[in-house]
Amino acid sequence: MTTGEVYRIDWVPGTDLLHGRCHCGTEHTAQNPEAMWSWMLAHPDHPLTPSTPGTPGTPERSTR
Amino acid sequence: MTAFVRNQWYVAAYGYEVGRELLGRTVLGEPIAFYRTETAGDEQGTVIALADRCVHRRFPLSESNLDGDRVVCGYHGFTYDTTGTCVYVPGQKRVPRTARVSSYPVVEQDSFVWVWIGDPALADPGAIPRAPHLTAPGWVSVSGMEPIDGDYGLLVDNLMDLSHETYLHGGYIGTPEVAETPITTEVDEGAGIVRVSRHMLDAECPPFYARSTGIEGRITRRQDIEYHAPCLYLLHSGITPVGDDSHVFRTEITYAITPSAEGKVYDFWAVSRDFAVDDEEVTTFLRDFNHTVVMQDVDALNLLQLALDAEPGDSYQELSINIDTGGLAARRILARLAEEGEKPVERTS
Repeated sequence: MTTGEVYRIDWVPGTDLLHGRCHCGTEHTAQNPEAMWSWMLAHPDHPLTPSTPGTPGTPERSTR
Repeated sequence: MTAFVRNQWYVAAYGYEVGRELLGRTVLGEPIAFYRTETAGDEQGTVIALADRCVHRRFPLSESNLDGDRVVCGYHGFTYDTTGTCVYVPGQKRVPRTARVSSYPVVEQDSFVWVWIGDPALADPGAIPRAPHLTAPGWVSVSGMEPIDGDYGLLVDNLMDLSHETYLHGGYIGTPEVAETPITTEVDEGAGIVRVSRHMLDAECPPFYARSTGIEGRITRRQDIEYHAPCLYLLHSGITPVGDDSHVFRTEITYAITPSAEGKVYDFWAVSRDFAVDDEEVTTFLRDFNHTVVMQDVDALNLLQLALDAEPGDSYQELSINIDTGGLAARRILARLAEEGEKPVERTS
């Protein structure tokens, strides 16, 4: 049984980072699970954090 | 303390625990007496669940006696039928109209006895999560139950983060790779399910699997957790020798996490396998070995609860890291369900 409202968080292999994807498609990278869940559960108002394009794995980065 | 979640189904016993002797269990603080009705032919009797306090002087009915399908209070003989209605009181013909005890909705499924805690009008047997491997043909299971003197949230935390296997269960089910391997966490908000997966491509084979499968070398090991909050926890485990995925040894580890009272939880556990199903030696080994593993958790959680109780003040500081991603998700789902379970329900009539 699966509904459409699925949050997913991957611990990025080889790093200490978490990469999250909300069911709305918005993505985010964070350094600890509490920060990640805070961001995730703010749906639909995910806070935008400073992003650094072109540097994957940068902590606290959101993309839409 | 982790808030209780009402208006939910909980495992109160294994079917094999409930028979013609009354069994007392406390679920979410509610004492309940279980028994099975008399059998008719080859049919197995039905499980009955009644509030475990005689309406007269609160004597535990679970410490009383059965007369056919009726419960006779062991103190003064108040007698209840399967619906909880009192049908006899000693020395007088009139049975007071208020003489009844609550009966609970019960479903026997997948070897478990599930009981509904909450408004009986909301009990939907179709909402009970399934663990079909416990009774499926081609599978063999060993099982048991251990009470823990700890908040049920501690057991949820324990099971959602299997990195503890490396340290608490080293030499049994834990190897270094469990704690070292990154996890993937998924929360299905609508279904109330948390999934945590850990896939180890080249891992040491712990004794639990080496001795049950005969594998001597390193293994590919998958751990896929599926937690159906609040009660049912499934760990789908699959191992193969590294480089040989022609046969997957599948093991289903099942837990039912049933809060008993504040600071107490029933830890129902089962290990099911689809290999060596006729090998009694493997069955005995897995039963004994897993019981040891469960007792390692029981001892650790009893100790942890004592330590938490000794903390000054009402709250204590925790520190969460990546391994806790699933556990934090489970806590949040439980908090939401607890809140929903306390809300008055609107009914249309």
